[in-house]
Amino acid sequence: MKLDTKIPQGKLEEKWRNYQVKSKLINPANKKKLNVIVVGSGLSGAGAAATLAELGYDVQCFCYQDSARRAHSVAAQGGINAAKNYQHDGDSVWRMFYDTLKGGDFRSREANTYRLAELSAPLIDHFTQQGVPFAREYGGVLVNRSFGGVQVQRTFYARGQTGKQLLLAAYSQLSKMIRAKKVSMFPRKEMLDLVVIDGKAKGIIVRDLVSGDIQRYAADTVVLATGGYSRVFRLSTMAIGCNGSAIWKAHKKGAFFAAPSFTQIHPTALPQSSEAQSKLTLMSESLRNDGRIWVPLKKGDSRKANEIPEEERDYYLERRYPSFGNLAPRDIASRAAKERIDAGYGVGRLKNAVYLDFKHAIKQFGLETIKDRYGNLFTMYQKITGVDAYTKPMQISPAAHFSMGGLWVDYELMTTIPGLYAIGECNFSDHGANRLGANSLLQASVDGYFILPNTINNYLASEIKETTVDTDHPAFFEVEKEVKEYIQQILSIDGNKTVDHFHRELGKVMWQECAMSRNKTGLEKAITQINKIKESFWSDVKVTGHSLELNTELEKALRLADFIELGLLMCTDALEREESCGAHFREEYQTADGEAVRLDDQYAYVSAWEYSNGDFKLHKEELEFEFVKPTVRSYK
Amino acid sequence: MELFFRKSMIAVTGLFLCLFLIVHLSANCILLLPEEVARGLYNSYSTTLRENPLIKIVAYALYLSILLHVVYALLVSLRNKKAKPTKYAVNRSSENSTWASQNMGLLGAFILLFIVVHLANFWARIKLGMGDVVGTDALGNVDVYAVTSSLFHNIYYVIFYSFLMIPLGFHLHHGLKSAFKTLGFYHKAGLRLVAKIALIYAVIMSVGFGIIPLIVYFK
Amino acid sequence: MKVAFRIWRQDNPNEKGGFKEYQVDNLNADMSFLEALDHLNELLVLRNEKVVAFEYDCREGICGQCGVFINGRAHGPHDNVTTCQLHMRSFQDGETIVIEPWRAKSFPVIKDLIVDRSAFDRIIEQGGYISAKTGTAPEANAIPIGKEISDRAMDAAACIGCGACVATCKNSSAALFTSAKINHLNLLPQGQPEAYRRVIEMTAQMAKEGFGHCTFTGACEVECPEGISITNIAEMNARYFKAKIFS
Repeated sequence: MKLDTKIPQGKLEEKWRNYQVKSKLINPANKKKLNVIVVGSGLSGAGAAATLAELGYDVQCFCYQDSARRAHSVAAQGGINAAKNYQHDGDSVWRMFYDTLKGGDFRSREANTYRLAELSAPLIDHFTQQGVPFAREYGGVLVNRSFGGVQVQRTFYARGQTGKQLLLAAYSQLSKMIRAKKVSMFPRKEMLDLVVIDGKAKGIIVRDLVSGDIQRYAADTVVLATGGYSRVFRLSTMAIGCNGSAIWKAHKKGAFFAAPSFTQIHPTALPQSSEAQSKLTLMSESLRNDGRIWVPLKKGDSRKANEIPEEERDYYLERRYPSFGNLAPRDIASRAAKERIDAGYGVGRLKNAVYLDFKHAIKQFGLETIKDRYGNLFTMYQKITGVDAYTKPMQISPAAHFSMGGLWVDYELMTTIPGLYAIGECNFSDHGANRLGANSLLQASVDGYFILPNTINNYLASEIKETTVDTDHPAFFEVEKEVKEYIQQILSIDGNKTVDHFHRELGKVMWQECAMSRNKTGLEKAITQINKIKESFWSDVKVTGHSLELNTELEKALRLADFIELGLLMCTDALEREESCGAHFREEYQTADGEAVRLDDQYAYVSAWEYSNGDFKLHKEELEFEFVKPTVRSYK
Repeated sequence: MELFFRKSMIAVTGLFLCLFLIVHLSANCILLLPEEVARGLYNSYSTTLRENPLIKIVAYALYLSILLHVVYALLVSLRNKKAKPTKYAVNRSSENSTWASQNMGLLGAFILLFIVVHLANFWARIKLGMGDVVGTDALGNVDVYAVTSSLFHNIYYVIFYSFLMIPLGFHLHHGLKSAFKTLGFYHKAGLRLVAKIALIYAVIMSVGFGIIPLIVYFK
Repeated sequence: MKVAFRIWRQDNPNEKGGFKEYQVDNLNADMSFLEALDHLNELLVLRNEKVVAFEYDCREGICGQCGVFINGRAHGPHDNVTTCQLHMRSFQDGETIVIEPWRAKSFPVIKDLIVDRSAFDRIIEQGGYISAKTGTAPEANAIPIGKEISDRAMDAAACIGCGACVATCKNSSAALFTSAKINHLNLLPQGQPEAYRRVIEMTAQMAKEGFGHCTFTGACEVECPEGISITNIAEMNARYFKAKIFS
C-alpha cells in the first residue's frame, strides 16, 4: 500500500492556500446534518469541537476527566511559538519552519512543518481575542522570550502557565458552543473502541466512567484528539490519566501508527524518590540558563553536595559540550545525564539524579536576581521536595515527556482509515524525531482550530449523500459486544498482582531499553520481556469491583493492557530504525565522541506501522526534501 | 439577584447601625461626667431626641434597619445552611479564617438578645410607660439618667451589659470589613485601610459601651 | 512511616456512607499524599476489597481535578496548595488522617471521595467566554492592554476550578470561582462587549446551582491553590451593581 500524503502542488508558501482553494465546500444547511465525534477536550480537541460547531456541524465531544478543562494541555508551562517577528529580530515563517524541521532532525514533512509555522501568527491573534492574558510590556504590546534551540525571540507566554491559559480559552469557546447547543459535551466517558463500517470510521464505543455502562455513539466522522502516550513509561511528565487506548484501538482497526518510538525525554524533571512514585514533575528548562549541572567525580560519593569541593565535581555538560555547555538541547542533556547515572555517578537517595547548582549564579548575580528570575520554580521545588534550593543544589533527572509519534496522518490530518482524523499530540506530523520547546501548544492548537476545520469538509462533502449510520447498525452491536467481553475477561482473571505492579514492570523495561539511548540487544530483550509482562498480565492481574460502577482500577487495567501492546510496537520501531536521529539514539550509530549518526540515504522516511493479527508491518513514507537540505546537528 | 440583594441589605442596614452606634456612644459618654452635671445634660439630651421630628424619622429608620438586618440575616443563613447540608466530621476552620467570621449569626443572636433587654429596660419604660413610673428632674425633663443609673447599680445588669459588648465588638469588626466588600468596594489598599478602621472602631465601640456600666457602678 | 487513614466510603450517591479506617505502613515521607492512597488501594486490591475512589489527573497542581478534605482542611494542612502537591512529610508518623469528600449541596458525592463539580462548568457556559468565532480575530497587537490590567486579568485567570473555595466555605459559596472568571474577562478590552451580560448571567447561574451567599470569611483565598484574592468577589459585586444600573 502506497501512503498518499495528499500534499498539494506548488511552492512551499502556496501549498496551504492551494489546498484551501481546491477543497470541497459544504453549504450551511448541509453542515447541520453532519455529525462529528471529537474524542478529547484538550487544546486540539476543544479547539476543533468549538470551531466545527461554529461552522455549523453537529458535534459530540468526549473526555475521560470530570470536565473539559482538565485536559493535560493545561500543564504546558513555557509558551507558544509564533512567527510574528514582533521583536524585529529577523524572524519569519521560513525561519520558524526551518528551525522546527531542523529541531526534528529532518524526520518530518516539509509541507506540514511549513504550514505549522505559517498558521502560528494568526493563532496568537485568535487567543488574544479569546481573552488569554499573554504577558505584556508596560506600553501594552505583547512580550516574547526565547526558547531552546533557536536564536530569535518568538515565544509568547502567560506567566508559567501558558498551556493552562490557552486550554481555558479553548474550554471557554467550547462552553459557548455547549450553551448554543451545537456541542454535546460528554465528560467522564472514555472511548474504548472505534466502529468502522465499510472501511470508514462511523462511531465509537465508550464506557461511562460513573455508571460503567457501555454506550454506542455514531457520527459521519471521528476525530481523535487524545494526546500523548508517554505514560507507557509509567513515570513521565504526563497526567496520570493520559493514555494511548483510543489511538491504539484505532490502530488495531487499521490506522497506521507512525514513528511510535520517537519520545522526547525532558532533562529537567524531579527525580523519582520512591517505588510508589506515580509522576515526575517538570521543572522549567529555563533553569539551565543559570544553573550548572554536575555529578561527583568519585563513583558512589556519599557526601552531601555542599561537602564536595569544586575540584571533585564533574560539570559533565560543560566538559563534553564546551560551546553549549548546560544549554545543550534536551535530548543531548538527557542522554548525558543518563550516561553518568548509569555509570554509577548518580546522586540522591536512589542514585538516580544529577545536581543542578545555583551556587555560582547566586555568587555572580546575587540572591535577589536569582529569586526574581526563578522564585516560583524554587518555591515549587521546595513544595515538592521540602528542600531549599538556594542553599543546596537541586536534584534533577530526565523524564519521559512528549510523544512525537502517533497515528500516521496525511496533509489533511486524516489517518489511513477514511473518516478518522488524528489531531494534536496523538498524531505524528510536524515534530519529526524531536520537538522544539513551545511548539507543542502550537501544533495542538493549529491542528484543532485552523487545519482540521478546513480539511474535514473535503471528506464530509462526499458523506452528505451517504445514508447516515445510526447506533442500531449491526456493526455497533458487534463492537459493543466485543468491548463488554473484553472487560469481563479482565475482571475474571482474578489473579494476585495489581495493575500498578504490571505498569511498574512495563515502565522499567521501557525506560531502560527504549528511552534516551537504545541498542539492538536491549530492544530485543525488551520485546521478550514485554511479551512476558503481557502474558503475566493476562493471567495474574487482579481488578476488584465490577464493571457496572465507577471503578478506577478497571480504568487503569484497560489502559495498561493497551500500553503493553504499544510498548511492543515502540520497541519494534526503535529496533528497525538503525540510525540515530533526534530523540532516537541508537548506541550503535554514534561517532567516536558520542554524537548521533543520522543516515539520510537509508532512513529518510516515516515509519508507518500497520497492525495485522498481533504483528506489525512496516510501511515507509519517503521524506522528500524539496526546499531545504538536511544538515547535521552539532552542539559541540 | 437574591444573592446580591440580601447581602447588600444586610450591609447597608449594618453600616447605618454602625453610624448610629457612634452617636449613641458619644451621648453615653455624658454618663461619665460627675452626677450633678450629667443628670441635667443627659435628660435634656434625651428629651430633645424624643421630641425632634427629624430624629423620630431616624428612629423609625433605626427600628426598620434592625428588623431588616435580622430578617435578611436569617434568610441568608437559611440559604447558606441549605447549601451545606452535610458538615465535615473534622473542620479546622480556625486555620483559614477568624472565629467571628464563621459565627456572625451566633454573635448576632447575642446582640439581638441584648437589644431586646435594652429596649425593655429603657424604651418600654420611658416611651411605653411599662413598669415603675419614671420621674422628672429639676428642669421637668423625664429623668432617664435615674433609670440608667439605677440599672447600672444592679450588678447583674452591669455584667449583662458589659459582657455582651464583647460579641458586639467581634460582630462589628467582621461586619464592617465585610460590608464594604459586599457593596463592591474592591480597592486593595482601601480595603486594608477599612480593615484597620474596622478594628479600631470595633474596639472603641466594644470597650466604650462595655466600660460605661462598670464606671457608673463603681462611681 | 505508618499512618491510619480514616476515609469516607460511599458506594453511590444514594447510599448513606460512613467512615472506614485503614492502617497503612511502609510509607515514606517523600511520597505524595495521593501516592500513599495509591499504595492503600494496592493493598485493598490484594485483600480483594474495592479500592477507594478519589480523583486526580496531572498530579502537578494545575489541572484542578484532585481535591479532598484532609484533617479538616481543603487540600490538607498547608495554605494555597493542591492535594496532589501535599506530601506525607506533612504528617506525623502514626497519625490518623481523616479524609472527606468536598461537602456542598451543589457538589453531590458520586462515590467515596469523588464529587460532581459540573455546576462549575454550567456557570462557565453562561458567559465565561468571549463570543468571537475562530477566524475573526484582529491582529494581536492592534489593541494594546496595559501591563497592570493584563496582570490583574492574569491573577484572576489563574483559577484551576478545583472547588476548594466552595468546599471550605461554610456557606458553600462559589463566589470566588465565579468572580475570578468574570473579572478575568471583564478586565480585558476583548471582554467589554459582553461585560454586563456576563456578570448577570453567570451570577444567576451560580444562584440557580444552589451555592450559598458569600459572607467573606476569607477561608477560600487561604485554601485556593492559586491564591486568588477575595477582593475578586468585591470586584464582582461592583460589576454586578454597575451592570444592573447601566444595562
